[in-house]
Amino acid sequence: MNLDLPMAIRAFEILLGWSLLLQSAEYLRLRALDRVGDWRIQRAEVPSARVRQGLDWLYQPAPYAGMLWLRAALALALMLGQAGLGSAVLLFAMALLLLLRWRGAFNGGSDFMTLVGLTGLLLAHVLGLFTNPARAWHVALWYVTVQSLSSYFVSGWVKLMRPEWRTGRAMTVFLDNGVYGPLSDRSIYRWPRLAMLCSWGFTLWEGLFPIALLDVRLAVVFCAIATVFHFLVFWFFGLNRFFWAWLSTFPAILYAASG
Amino acid sequence: MEFTALLTVAYFVLLAVALRKRQRTVNGPWLFLLRAFFPNWQFFHGLGPAARLWVRAQDGQGQWSLWHPVYPRLPRQASHLLHNPAVNLALSHQNLVEHLATDIHDLAENADIRDCVSYQLVMRLARDAVQGGRWGDIPWWNSRAGPRPRHFNSKCVCCGWASQAMNSCCCLRKCPFAHEP
Repeated sequence: MNLDLPMAIRAFEILLGWSLLLQSAEYLRLRALDRVGDWRIQRAEVPSARVRQGLDWLYQPAPYAGMLWLRAALALALMLGQAGLGSAVLLFAMALLLLLRWRGAFNGGSDFMTLVGLTGLLLAHVLGLFTNPARAWHVALWYVTVQSLSSYFVSGWVKLMRPEWRTGRAMTVFLDNGVYGPLSDRSIYRWPRLAMLCSWGFTLWEGLFPIALLDVRLAVVFCAIATVFHFLVFWFFGLNRFFWAWLSTFPAILYAASG
Repeated sequence: MEFTALLTVAYFVLLAVALRKRQRTVNGPWLFLLRAFFPNWQFFHGLGPAARLWVRAQDGQGQWSLWHPVYPRLPRQASHLLHNPAVNLALSHQNLVEHLATDIHDLAENADIRDCVSYQLVMRLARDAVQGGRWGDIPWWNSRAGPRPRHFNSKCVCCGWASQAMNSCCCLRKCPFAHEP
């Protein structure tokens, strides 16, 4: 049942590449959809004049589209196992440029977890210059694991400390405000007892996620629940990027738990 | 391996302790632009009033429309799991409104909110809502708020609180375009 290093690296690359590819396709479509974002206004937030000038050029329609197509191509190369140090550097740099283009974040937590994956990839290739690649990947996958587990742990812990999450009220309010909401009047998630049960279930599962490291079978169970959880988050809140961004960290968790 | 396990346990204990302490907010232009490097757990804090954008506009005869909420509500599709630009854009617009609410709250005494990037972008959002903006196939201007006015007047933008009904929407105190409906 253990996930060995070569298998973990391949699964991580495929899932991260897939996540980046889907994001790139969305960014390409957003060029036509977004009539609110305007770099001529947003550029005022960049403190450095030199950086601003560089970005002025980059965010013109043609170079920006070129960057997105390049990102998509590199994501595909990553999926095919053909991404080296240069690709890792470029993907990381483009992630930063996209953050600046979208005023620091386009899709909240998914941007953070995408950066975690890309930092892991960069770490593996940069450390690989100084030590043997297997050791470099070992460190990189552990980095991704710690970041991913921390995200669940902190999320569970924060919920545990808030009375509205302990009573389950927060869950109903959040579901009502979801992009696909509100809940119907007869939705089962309006039942206070069920809302409390679900709320406690997810809070405990998130808070206890670090124990997945104890045994790979535990890690499989935690990751399977996480997949369902992220699918529900997509189903109610439309956060498809969260689903793929977190999924791409699971090979690292399974590898770390296999050690 | 035992050392790794010990280190991991120590890390999560430290994390739990750190979460219990009141944390200082660090601000700065670069930190704002690179905030995706730092996870934000404020999302889970409290269920206080949330910022919502309300818009109304005048038609050619100077008749005001009803107040209209610009808040993303879109139909769900399974295919959105793979490709969901309209919903993600809508969510980013709602984030923008929340940033404006924060900027208004933090505005210095003599500062002008119109200088804020978030304000200027929300104005574009409001203008676009009146001029037929859509999230995918969904128009921002819901027909229940009456016919969409042809002309947009900048005085029609109001950033209010969700808990209040549309007909009692209250503009924020520091908003220069405060306009009681």
